[in-house]
Order: sequence, then structure tokens, then C-alpha cells
Amino acid sequence: MPPAAGGAIVMAWWRAQTASTGPQSMTATLRPAASPDRRAALLRAAGEYLAAAALVVATTLALWPLRDRLTIANESLLYMLVTLIVAVRFRTGPSVLAALLSFFAFNYFLVRPYYTLAVEDTRELLDLLVFLTAAVIAGRLTDYARHQAEAAGLNARQQDILYRLTSALNPLTDVDAIRAELRRVAVEELGAVEVEFLPMPPTAPTEHHPAADVVFVLLQAGEAIYGTLRASFLRAPSTSAHRLLIACAGQAALALQRVDLTAQAQRSRALGEADRLKTALLRAVSHDLRTPITIIKTSAANLGDVDLAARLSAEEKGDMVQAIEASADALDRLVGNLLDMSRLQAGAVVLNEDWNSVEEIAGDVAAGVYRREGTERIRLDFPDDLPLVRCDFGLLRQALGNLVDNALRHEPEGQRVVIRGRAEAGLVRLEVVNHGPTIPAEERERIMEPFYQSRDGRSVMGGVGLGLAIAHGIAAVHGGALAVADTPGGGATFIIRLPQTEGAP
Amino acid sequence: MMILIVDDEPQIRKLLTAGLKGYGYDVLAAADGHEALTLVAQRRPELVVLDIHLSQGPDGLEVCRRLREWSRVPIIMLSVRGDERTKVQALDAGADDYLTKPFGMEELRARIQAVVRRAVAEPGAPPDSVIRAGALAIDLVNRRVTVAGEEVHFTPQEYDILRLLATHPGKIMTHPAILSAVWGPEYADMTHYVRIYVNQIRKKLRENPAANVRYILNEPGVGYRFIDLP
Repeated sequence: MPPAAGGAIVMAWWRAQTASTGPQSMTATLRPAASPDRRAALLRAAGEYLAAAALVVATTLALWPLRDRLTIANESLLYMLVTLIVAVRFRTGPSVLAALLSFFAFNYFLVRPYYTLAVEDTRELLDLLVFLTAAVIAGRLTDYARHQAEAAGLNARQQDILYRLTSALNPLTDVDAIRAELRRVAVEELGAVEVEFLPMPPTAPTEHHPAADVVFVLLQAGEAIYGTLRASFLRAPSTSAHRLLIACAGQAALALQRVDLTAQAQRSRALGEADRLKTALLRAVSHDLRTPITIIKTSAANLGDVDLAARLSAEEKGDMVQAIEASADALDRLVGNLLDMSRLQAGAVVLNEDWNSVEEIAGDVAAGVYRREGTERIRLDFPDDLPLVRCDFGLLRQALGNLVDNALRHEPEGQRVVIRGRAEAGLVRLEVVNHGPTIPAEERERIMEPFYQSRDGRSVMGGVGLGLAIAHGIAAVHGGALAVADTPGGGATFIIRLPQTEGAP
Repeated sequence: MMILIVDDEPQIRKLLTAGLKGYGYDVLAAADGHEALTLVAQRRPELVVLDIHLSQGPDGLEVCRRLREWSRVPIIMLSVRGDERTKVQALDAGADDYLTKPFGMEELRARIQAVVRRAVAEPGAPPDSVIRAGALAIDLVNRRVTVAGEEVHFTPQEYDILRLLATHPGKIMTHPAILSAVWGPEYADMTHYVRIYVNQIRKKLRENPAANVRYILNEPGVGYRFIDLP
């Protein structure tokens, strides 16, 4: 046998031993082989060799009684069959053993002269060569097929890990969650003992050093770098494990890039929104601030003009003074609303919470309307046993006041806006019911936006369109919500729902 | 009667001075806390209108506290909307009342009169034996309450709260003050008790806020105030 062939056989055997230790999971394959795995592999290999030898012995024993009646060709074919079976079942190593044993057993026990290894005919050397060659070829084929199957299995496992990582990363919108997922894969699937994320590209090279038990992988997506993964292993990871780690890091980097781009998009949307608000504010300010200012300025100038004032009746002077006061009140409300809106939007509202009766709050609002309008335009509808709610009295009065102002603006003459309180499971409902026009379905959501102007050009609040947005914001900071529904028979009903906190008295 | 106005805004000082002079009061004005303390010591005004937020020197709360160390002059603080915590602090610091900006001169005059009346009446002067406000009459001697001539039954606690509020018309009674007076100081934190009882009292008094028929007014985040009696 040429040395090269022997080398190939040894290599093939070695590879067969190292490539697989049986049908273990990817975990075992990708992780550095642990010593129990190795022992099991050695035991198995020994078993395979023993089985090969046993088969040859059994064949020899079976043929022995028949050795005078069978031809040499019969017997050698049977041995060949055994060798092939061993090769297919156990790979190259055991099959070579089977071939050698077969040749010697055949020669020693079955071929005349019996019990000698003397070869009468040099043609029998050819038999030996045929045995060995067939055994090696069959063994190699088996090895190759198995190797392919294992590689495919390994590949499938890798694909599976990658696929599951990608699916897990897809819904994540948070950098920490993405890192946690990558960390989980590195630890659970690849056997890393410690995973760390470094903000900058590392100084150490990122290519694979087979001896290294610390691996650095760049989290890179396109041009952008999202830090470095530093994974420590008990034993240097295999090349395939390292490749898989890089692939996983790539997926994580893509997810990080997606989050980054989404944040950028949101920022530019927010800027656009701020721009829209600014435009709306400027438009509103130009009208809603200027009108009362003009009234105040003109009235004050008229009253201050000695000649003109002398010609004005007392009633006319009184009207002007009243106009100044009403305008100042309007400005006060507008400034208050703008301040409230900015505080609500900035999340800067500090709640002065206490147990409050929403009926008292509604009473304050109703009394305010009476003082302003001089007639009874509100009807209060509260059950005797309505529970207290934990809320900020002043803010809730503001919210309710805004809803009532809005409702009154659309309330038909001679009818009353109803403020109703009801207890529901786990919450208290405050309703402001008006009987004016119904709000079209497509406007319902939008009317709660700041500065919203309805299609006829007037804002819903008759002012800058802040009232509903503020009421909405106030309900929200209380953990509640503002909704709008149709009033049966026509009109809009605004509903504030406030959660009933635990431990309500 | 001499009134000291303390406000850091010259325009507000000017307007308030003119308005109060128009009502016949003598008026002093101070632009900051130091000036205010000096003026109270030197000129002995009978009432101080004090802005809570002063831009320079000690702020209004501090001025109020220092004044209370040696003076019982009635103090009305001026605050802004949504400043409940500061209002409570002002009352704790010894202020008699507060008024939220913006306000009308009429409103300020009413508060001044109420505070002065209480300052003169107190201490200890028994009010009339019957308190009347609108349709409501409270007979303190016989503990009888009638609304539009009809007798209304109150539980002892409800009556105690109503009496406490009604015998201090126009004066802010903080929730802890009501709780301490009616239930005892250990109940000062149980503000929801007051809410529930006042709710009951309102119903029995047949208040109708929608027509502005009210006897007990809310001071959001602070307490209650019985309507001022004419």
C-alpha cells in the first residue's frame, strides 16, 4: 500500500472521529468539546471496531463447516459483503480492520493449506488488495455522506439560530432589548461565558484567532458602526461558531440601524409637527391676540381722548370699559391655555392630587358660567353616592371648564348643557352633553389636536383651538381619557373617564 | 385707614394705589420686601396687600413670615393661577387671605373689608346668635338650621363643620384646620372626610351651583370658604 493512501486513510479516520461524535445537538458541536463527550466518542469508536471484528469472526465460524463444499470465490464474496456492511455502517476505520481480518481469517481458516498464512498463489495477494480497496472506498463514501449530512445539519442549525434571532429582533425598538437578544444567542447557543458591549470599535483585531478565548465582533451595518461585541469563551470557539457569531452580530447591527433610523425619522416628524404648531400658533395669535388688544387699545384711547369722552354717553363709556374687561379676560384665558398646553406637552405638570368630589368641581364650573352669563345655562346631574376621585382639583376644573365652554358655544338657545357624573366599574365618568350640531366622524379624533380648526375655518373652541387639547391632556395626566360621542337626538357628548384609584375612601 | 401695597411691578403699584385711593383709603407702596418691612414698622399700616412673588430681596412668603414675628397686621397675598401650594404656604405663613391675579378692584375691596371686619371682630366676639345667608339661617343657640324656612336635620359632625365655616364667613378654612377642629388634630390628613361631609351638607343646604346658589365655596387644593356675609 502506498504511503499516501495510508495517510489518506488515517486522515479520513481522524476526520471521521473529529467531525462528529454522533447525533448531538448544535450546542455540543459549536461549543468546545467537553471531556465527557470525548470519552463517549472513544467508547463508541472502540465499540465499532469490536463489532467489525465480531462480524468477521462470526462469518468465519459460519463458513468453517462448509469450507469443503464452497468455492474460494463464494467465500471471498461473502467476506467482501461483510466488509462492505461494516464500511457502510461504521465508516473507514472499522471497515479497513474488517478487510484485514477477513483476508487473514479467510487465508488461515478457509483456504488450503489450512491454518497457515502461506499463499500458494500470488493471485491471492490481488484478493487482499481488492478487499482493502473496496473497504476503503466504501468507508470513504460513507464518511463523505455522513459528513455532508452533518454539515447540512450544522448549517440548518445555524440557519435556524440566525432565523430565530432575526425574528426576535424584528419587533424590537429598543437598543437594550436588541443587545439583550444578541447576548442571549451568544450565551445560550454559542456558549459564551461573558458578553459585553463596547461603545467604540476595539483596538484588538476582529478576525478570528483560533487560540483566543475572547472574540471581538464589530456591530456594523453598512457604513454605520453600533459598537463592538466582546464575547469570552471558556475555549476558543470553532470557526463555524465564530462565523455564526459574526452573522448574528450583523443581524443585531441591522436591527440597531433600524432603531436609529426610526428615531431619526421621528425626530424629523416631531420637527415637522413643531413647525406645523408654530404656524398654527402664529396664525391663531395674529387673530386671537390682536382682536382683544385692538379692543383694549381703541377703547382706552377713546376714553382718554378728552374731547371725545365729553361727547360719549355714560352708557357708551360703560360699554367700552366692559369691552376692555372682557378682552382682558379673553387674553388671560388664552395665555393660561397656552401655558397649560406647553406644560402638558412638555410633561411638566405637577399634579396637586387629593381625594375630590367631581360634583364639587362641576359645581364650580356651573357657578362660573352663571356669573359670566347671568342665566342658568347648565344642568347638573350627579347621583348621591358618586365616589371621590383622586385628582388635581384645579386642573380638572380647567378641563371641565373648557369642555363646558365648548358645549355652550354650540348649545341652542333655551336649552341647557348637562354636566353628568356616573360611576363605572373602576372609574368615574364625567360627561358634558350639548344638543347642538353633531360632530362628523372624521373630525372626532382631530378636534383634540392643538390648534385644530374645523373645516368652516372656525376653531372648535372659537379661540385658538387649545381647549379640547388641554382637556385631553389633563385627562391623560390623570391616567384617564377624553372621548367624544353623539348625544342621542343630536349634539356632542364629551366624556372624561378618570380611573378609580385603589384605596378609594 | 392706611393700606400698604407691596408689588415689584410699578404699573400694578400705580393702578392699585389709584384704585384704593379712589375707595377712600390712604395708600403706601413698596417695591420690595425690605422696603415693605421698614414701612410696616415706621408707618403702621392697618392692612398689607403683598405679592407672593417679589423679584428682589425676600419674597412675599418670607416677608409674611417676618411680619408675623412681631405684627398682627392683616395680610392679603396676591398670587397667580394654579399656584395652590404657594397659597397653602401663604396661609401657613400667617396670611389672612389671598387673591388670584388678575382680579378686579371690586373684588380686592370686598376682601379688604372682610379681612378688616374679621380682624376687628376677633378675638372672641360672639357673632350674632343667628347667621343668615340667602335662604339659609343657622340658629347657633338652638343648633337649628333652616333653608327657606324649612328645618333641615344635620348630624353632629355635619353641624360642627357648617358652624365652623359659617362663623368665619369669607375666611378660608384649610382642610387640616377643619379636620382638627371637628375631629381632632390626629385627623388632619384625612381630607377625604371633609369632602364627603361637605358634599352631604351642600345637598341638605340645597345648593344649586348652576344658578350660583352656594354657601360653601371651594378653594381648590386649599380648603373651603363660607360666603362672605354682607
